[in-house]
Amino acid sequence: MGDGDADTPHPLPNSRGSPPPHAPPALHHARGGGWVRGCGRSLPRWPRPLLRSRWNFPLAGAARAPAGHAPPRARAPPGPAHTPPPPPPPRGGAKMAAAMAARLCLKGAESLLRPRALPCVVVPVRGRRKWPRVPEWARELSAEEKEWRLRSAAPIFPDERMERTFFLACTAEIMDPYVPPEGDARLTSLSKDGVKQQMQKLRQTAASQLALRKIKDHDPDFSTKTFPEKAQEIFIEAHNSLANFNKQKLHSLVTERCYPDMVRGNRYKTIRWRFVESLEPPRVVHVRCEGILNRGNLYGQVTVRMHSRQILAIYDRFGRLMYGGEEIPKDVLEYVVFERYLVNPYGTWRMHGKIIPEWAPPKDPIIKTVMIPGPAPDPSQEHETGK
Amino acid sequence: MAARWALGAGAAWARGLLSWARPERWLASGSLFPLSCIHTSTSLQKIGKWEKKNRIVYPPQLPGEPRRPAEIYHCRREIKYSKDKMWYLAKLIKGMSIDQALAQLEFSDKKGAKVIKEVLLEAQEMAVRKHNVEFKSNLHIAESQTGRGRYVKRLRCHGKGMFGMMRISRCHYFVKLVEGPPPPPEPPKTGFDQAKEYVQQLRNRTLVHTL
Repeated sequence: MGDGDADTPHPLPNSRGSPPPHAPPALHHARGGGWVRGCGRSLPRWPRPLLRSRWNFPLAGAARAPAGHAPPRARAPPGPAHTPPPPPPPRGGAKMAAAMAARLCLKGAESLLRPRALPCVVVPVRGRRKWPRVPEWARELSAEEKEWRLRSAAPIFPDERMERTFFLACTAEIMDPYVPPEGDARLTSLSKDGVKQQMQKLRQTAASQLALRKIKDHDPDFSTKTFPEKAQEIFIEAHNSLANFNKQKLHSLVTERCYPDMVRGNRYKTIRWRFVESLEPPRVVHVRCEGILNRGNLYGQVTVRMHSRQILAIYDRFGRLMYGGEEIPKDVLEYVVFERYLVNPYGTWRMHGKIIPEWAPPKDPIIKTVMIPGPAPDPSQEHETGK
Repeated sequence: MAARWALGAGAAWARGLLSWARPERWLASGSLFPLSCIHTSTSLQKIGKWEKKNRIVYPPQLPGEPRRPAEIYHCRREIKYSKDKMWYLAKLIKGMSIDQALAQLEFSDKKGAKVIKEVLLEAQEMAVRKHNVEFKSNLHIAESQTGRGRYVKRLRCHGKGMFGMMRISRCHYFVKLVEGPPPPPEPPKTGFDQAKEYVQQLRNRTLVHTL
């Protein structure tokens, strides 16, 4: 720090504890800390040089200046009031000026801190360093002030892990599935029973009526008369986009629960599907509306009965027919469930699943033969010799 | 932009972000989370060309066309065996039906025979389950090749402080199964065929640049 100062280095005030006012300046501290390098003048490493700390500005009344170099004056009433001498004009470079300024600051600080007439002697006890470090003069502060300082001194840990939000756009299953009556579509509308079946209107089920009312609350345009046509259109569009492998469109027409059921195993296959005609007008048979997780989280499910003629042909990776046929139309009776997330204003009706009744006829077998391995033969059993 | 986000929100959160499962891009009605579109899963090793051959899809055959035989490609990488030694086994089973190949490999004394047998059984299983092959015995081996794997150099210590560098060799094994009976072997060339060819060559001679 330039030319030598006559004074020996004094222990500087620090925020850890009250510095010994009358402690003799020690060149080598008992703690064995080294010297702070950099300054030409030797400064002990401990106690630390004055650091900027939020505890080191003047107390209530005075402005909260962030400068740490000016310790609180009220703590140690200065003796004869004297102002630090004005800093001489900088002679050397910026380094010299900084060194001079630092030295003067130190001098000013120590003069302020060294109370000339203090009756008691405070012996510092180097105890275990505690956090947060509350200096002695801060114990007189009000509770609010203390709390404010403690809170601002504490580091902010992010408590909540920001998890990725997920959005339940569909339910996982068909709620209260519709049980189709036995012998549906076997009876023509000419017989008495057939007419009775057709006359079974939706109105007869109370739960369906309640659900329908709830759906109409959220979607005033919904009607059991117009919905089946729309549903059939969605059905046809979904199957067409499955045949064309248009994933984006398929996702908008089919819920996330139905998508894997439709798409599984079809990646390397060619599917040809065609809707020939509708044998009977589709109609709504079942309506349910329930919330999952929360009470107000409503999902509406509508079951539509469709009796139609379709053509399906699945070809494997090599272009060989696996199932069905291009020229073989099949009559299909299906109960398709459509779902909509009612609370979402941008929700749409999408295909959710199918209900397969127990009395449904078995599907056609696939064209190839499959070997089902029998039970492993026991070596203790005698094997029959062929004749 | 992702880095700035991570710095702003804390390192722990960023680490959590990267360890998530891959977000599905198709959640159209997805959250408002701005980073929901990044693909956070680690990509697998480079998929070899032989494995990609199983992904080609042929267009549906017309009714009049002959039935296209199924082709199944399978391989195993980084087998701890020499490619030259493995070549003998690969050459042995080339052109055989799968049952015959399995029988030959079972009673071969070589180390690579066990590995190739496992590969053939895996391929057979794959063919029946995924590639619409009807009969598992109706397959023959159309191609069977070995390739060089990654070699590693190591120190081999000799006496008197001498050492040599040795190579730890690995190989790949590739097999292609085709549906159908194995093709008949080519008949050996007789002297008569050779004579016929010679005579044909003589007959093919012409005079050039003449009238």
